[in-house]
Amino acid sequence: MTKAVSVENLFFSYDSTPILEDVSLTINEGEFVGIFGPNGGGKTTFLKILIGLLKPSKGSIRLFGSPPKHIQPLIGYVPQITKLDRQFPITVEEVVQMGCLKQESFLGTLPTSAKTIAEISLKKVDMLSHKKRPFGTLSGGQAQRVLIARALACQPKILVLDEPTASVDPKAEEEILQILTSLKKEITILMVTHDLPTILQKVEKLLCIHRHAHVLSPSAVCEHYGLGLYHSPLMPKTLP
Amino acid sequence: MTLAHIFENPFLWMALLGGLAASLTSGIIGSYVVTKRIVFISGSISHSVLGGMGLFLWLKRSFFLTYLTPLQGACLFAVFSAFLLGWIHLRYKEREDSIIAAIWATGMSIGVIFITLTPGYNVELMNFLFGNILWTTSQDVLMLLGMDTLILLSTLFFYRRFQAICFDEEQSLLQGLRVQWLYIFLLCLVALSVVVLIQVVGAILVIALLTMPSAMAARFTHKLSSMMKLSVLLGALFTTLGLWISYQINWPPGATITLIAAVFYLLSLGSQKLKHLSFLRK
Repeated sequence: MTKAVSVENLFFSYDSTPILEDVSLTINEGEFVGIFGPNGGGKTTFLKILIGLLKPSKGSIRLFGSPPKHIQPLIGYVPQITKLDRQFPITVEEVVQMGCLKQESFLGTLPTSAKTIAEISLKKVDMLSHKKRPFGTLSGGQAQRVLIARALACQPKILVLDEPTASVDPKAEEEILQILTSLKKEITILMVTHDLPTILQKVEKLLCIHRHAHVLSPSAVCEHYGLGLYHSPLMPKTLP
Repeated sequence: MTLAHIFENPFLWMALLGGLAASLTSGIIGSYVVTKRIVFISGSISHSVLGGMGLFLWLKRSFFLTYLTPLQGACLFAVFSAFLLGWIHLRYKEREDSIIAAIWATGMSIGVIFITLTPGYNVELMNFLFGNILWTTSQDVLMLLGMDTLILLSTLFFYRRFQAICFDEEQSLLQGLRVQWLYIFLLCLVALSVVVLIQVVGAILVIALLTMPSAMAARFTHKLSSMMKLSVLLGALFTTLGLWISYQINWPPGATITLIAAVFYLLSLGSQKLKHLSFLRK
């Protein structure tokens, strides 16, 4: 069976500053994986390599057996909401339709099927009734759900989220996690988060990225967490 | 200035047409400039265009190449600097603003030197810098309308793609858009509209027409297409009103148009503040 993600001896550095060193891991299809680690530890860099926006300096990365660039149309990516300009004049509907851009004809028209998919995606995150609203007037949680809908609109096999729960209230966080839980099995989900306790029961695997990457099972983290040992790096002392 | 005046006076007629042609581009392209936050880049293009105008004026007068016009030089330099700036954006991001400023000043210097070298009495420099819409010829208006058509068609076809690269470059890359080429193409459209606007308000004041109508429209709209429509209307209002006032009290038209736009922009900022205050009092 092909793995959803398989990474072998991956290195990445900006100029001469190493960001990721010797990362090897595999993620199975349909798994829900939480990614954590200290700020500046390379989480976002890892995601960007995963979705093919950055090239590793060394090593290999395969998504469903292909290099990320080849499979890009099947990757749904939800960026950190702070990266987007909330003042940009755009409606919810238009944001979600961005997820179907590859279906656009040369003359700039979208097929009806793409518009339907956009609506279905909005429905999945329970935002269909807001489709005409300006994106900038949404609350943090609503905006995040719209971005998830945009990622779903490209009918992805893998969903990659960068801190979708960072700037939302607990209720909205719960809603977002519920949406993601309902999607797993069909879609492999990788999600960066700072809120470990909340996602522990929801994920199958945890990935700690701090220059190196360590795959942990939720139960292992629970033990550490229970002992008050949650600090980074969360891993055996023997490692550098 | 009544309607009869306009039809009797071909200068005014042309000026008004030029102003309206300029509002169309400034509204559409200005909306991209404001939302993509490339005002400074547009400023650089509009000032470096002076180099092309100076060069072509010099060639024309010194070598009697009568078929050359400063407008052609402007187009050439505008598109050239757009490519240069697009390429720099992709390659030297960390020093982008310094390079933008360098292109800004270099282009202007080239222009000033060529205009000084040009034989004869030179009033052109002032016109290039501050614009003289009253000198617009029917040939200019035709060229402006041609560019309007080009800009309109491109935005029609590329609306969604431009919106995507302005809103979220990463997502556009994932969607398989050729973001870099689209960006350079957008800059070329900015460059062409700069050329259109120079006819009306001159190189120094171009940024005024590219930003103020759109920035004002942005306060009242939440959709890129409606922002464009409103800023086209606002641009038409500012140029027409500015032209009328400058004709009445004999002020330079370019500067008058800019001032009118500024007054309206300030008022719109103020009105928002007032609304906010009255909301607090409730």
